[in-house]
Amino acid sequence: MKDSVKHIAVLVSAGRHPVSGEPRHCHNDSLALALGLNLASKVQVLHAGTPSNPALQDYFALGATQIDVVPNSDDIIESLAAQLTDANLILTGTRAESGEDSGLLPYLLAAKLNVPIVADALEIKANREQLEVLQFLPKGRRRRVLVSLPAVVAVHPSAAEALHFVHARKNLGNINTLHASNTKMQTIIDDSKQADSKQWRAKPARKPIKLIAQTAQTGHERLMAAISNKAKGGTVVNEGNNVEKAQVILRYLREHQLIEF
Amino acid sequence: MTTRINPHRLVQASPADLKHPSNNIKRIVLSTAQIAVEAHPAKWLRTPSKPKSRVLVIAHSDRGALDDHALQTIAAAAILADAETAVLALILGELNDDLSSAAADEVMILPALDFQIFQPDIELASVLAIIELLKPKHIFLPDNLIGDGDLGRRLAALKKLSVATHVLEIDVQHVASAQSGGCVLAQSNLPEVILLAPNAVDAELPFTAKATRIDAPTINHAASPYQAHYQDMGLQTSAAEDIALEDADFIVSAGNGVQNLATLASLASSLNAAVGASRVVVDDGKFPRDKQIGATGKTVTASTYMAIGISGAVQHLQGIKDCRHVIAINKDASAPIVKRANLSVIGDAEAVMQALMIEIEKAKEVVA
Ligand SMILES: Cc1cc2nc3c(=O)[nH]c(=O)nc-3n(C[C@H](O)[C@H](O)[C@H](O)COP(=O)(O)OP(=O)(O)OC[C@H]3O[C@@H](n4cnc5c(N)ncnc54)[C@H](O)[C@@H]3O)c2cc1C
Ligand SMILES: Nc1ncnc2c1ncn2[C@@H]1O[C@H](COP(=O)(O)O)[C@@H](O)[C@H]1O
Repeated sequence: MKDSVKHIAVLVSAGRHPVSGEPRHCHNDSLALALGLNLASKVQVLHAGTPSNPALQDYFALGATQIDVVPNSDDIIESLAAQLTDANLILTGTRAESGEDSGLLPYLLAAKLNVPIVADALEIKANREQLEVLQFLPKGRRRRVLVSLPAVVAVHPSAAEALHFVHARKNLGNINTLHASNTKMQTIIDDSKQADSKQWRAKPARKPIKLIAQTAQTGHERLMAAISNKAKGGTVVNEGNNVEKAQVILRYLREHQLIEF
Repeated sequence: MTTRINPHRLVQASPADLKHPSNNIKRIVLSTAQIAVEAHPAKWLRTPSKPKSRVLVIAHSDRGALDDHALQTIAAAAILADAETAVLALILGELNDDLSSAAADEVMILPALDFQIFQPDIELASVLAIIELLKPKHIFLPDNLIGDGDLGRRLAALKKLSVATHVLEIDVQHVASAQSGGCVLAQSNLPEVILLAPNAVDAELPFTAKATRIDAPTINHAASPYQAHYQDMGLQTSAAEDIALEDADFIVSAGNGVQNLATLASLASSLNAAVGASRVVVDDGKFPRDKQIGATGKTVTASTYMAIGISGAVQHLQGIKDCRHVIAINKDASAPIVKRANLSVIGDAEAVMQALMIEIEKAKEVVA
């Protein structure tokens, strides 16, 4: 049912082109916007950052009419949460393409606002107080989850939402700069320990080094390991007729619970 | 008097000879069976006898087993743990495997917390109770989509713990993950919660551990205030043909040795498996390009990969390196796929497939 959820907020971050690095919309967040616009004719689009960021314009092309921007602050969770106290549904992407890209923001926000969170949403249906979320699980599995509102829902990148990018809309939207609110919100969690954003030291991208256990081997052992065929190989069934061979396969599948019959 | 060694004596090199300190002759003999045993020296036991502290690894199991990603996460904790730190593996869901070769010193199992059921707050309450009790220095989880990535983020957000997600690189001093859309590899000191990306760690270890089962503490579910906000409406599995190969859990794959592709297709459907193919078969035009598995095709991560009439060229094996169970049907026992496969059946593809389909029908009838 369209418009059954009152106040929907979509959180959008600034993306970048994976090759050129050009600023653009973040694909993940665009899917969240599309799902939001499916549920309601009007959604609040919220961004924490610089109002003049050209990446924001892409969201106008994707259907936003206004973007509320909370200026950068030390604690963007704090400043976003302050704007979202009466939102019924907060939609986010799963992972940003700028900043820490940790996929933590939706969780931190939910903890701050003291509301439930469901991640990896592919589809969303709303019915009054509740939201029905189709959740992505690997290996072709999907799960339906009902969650009560207000809630945070993070949208999975493979949500099958078609994005309608209309270039003509790009300059029609309105950027509305909000003022960071000074009032600290009451939360159940003590704020004494700040989630530490100064924890990271940025280094240029390179191939990560894999952690490998140090083996205290002798030179001889290392040589043997290097020249002997490491591949263990499993069971080899040479004997028997075809029925017996088929039974071996079936037994293997059952033993490892790879089939259900 | 010095003992002289007769240079013309008959030498029988045994592993003991090679190791014996009084034997100062070192020679490398590659062909004897005894030496081949030496190539895989017995693993040493890591488990500290009186651990002063613990690190916790949390992972969901799937059908009673841990996937490679979870095993890599336990391995990371075991490699980084010092001689006085025990690695406790907390497994959510049933576990049939022994975790000693995965190098878990202690294993705690909560079978009710199966990944298929959405109960994040009960999981969180259970984990918090265990953390409270054991006070681990670090908490490791595989950053996956079967609930561990979600649980780790909930935990860190609720308890305001320092955390690193999508960790691509880890050692005793630091973790690193890709940030800013991949143009930065950011580093930090080891945080309290570490969510490891797949393949950041080699799970092959030179040591084992005791894997002592320990009982879980009683858990107060009243401490999960949000659980009432969630209601699980059940899991659904899409038909295999609707799933992209990369996402499929069971793949039956056709190679040049398959005479009759129709047989293979019906075998796949009786196993509810997706169908893939080697490059030769795709090049022959028998399958579209998007079915090709391998270096120049798709990389798949299915739990079960059945390679039928596939020789197992390196380019093909590259595409299935993350498959847990590889079953080969091949008429040639010396085909490279046999070395990779967990189970190889040597025989004619068509005949074995036909027999297998009959056995599957029988098995399904018994269950029904
Ligand atoms: C740059 C490059 C990239 C490549 N990329 C890929 C790739 O992405 N994917 C890929 O698959 N290949 C790739 N290849 C090709 C690869 O090297 C092999 O040629 C190909 O994988 C072989 O396919 P196959 O095993 O089906 O066929 P074959 O090598 O012909 O093997 C057929 C197998 O079937 C067995 N067999 C025959 N008859 C029967 C029977 N009646 N019953 C049972 N078994 C039987 C044989 O013993 C043999 O082992 C690439 C090659 C190059 C050079
Ligand atoms: N600066 C921001 N402003 C608004 N929303 C954001 C911002 N950064 C991240 N988000 C949202 O949080 C999600 C996860 O981001 P992250 O935790 O940074 O990976 C993104 O997909 C966005 O929906």
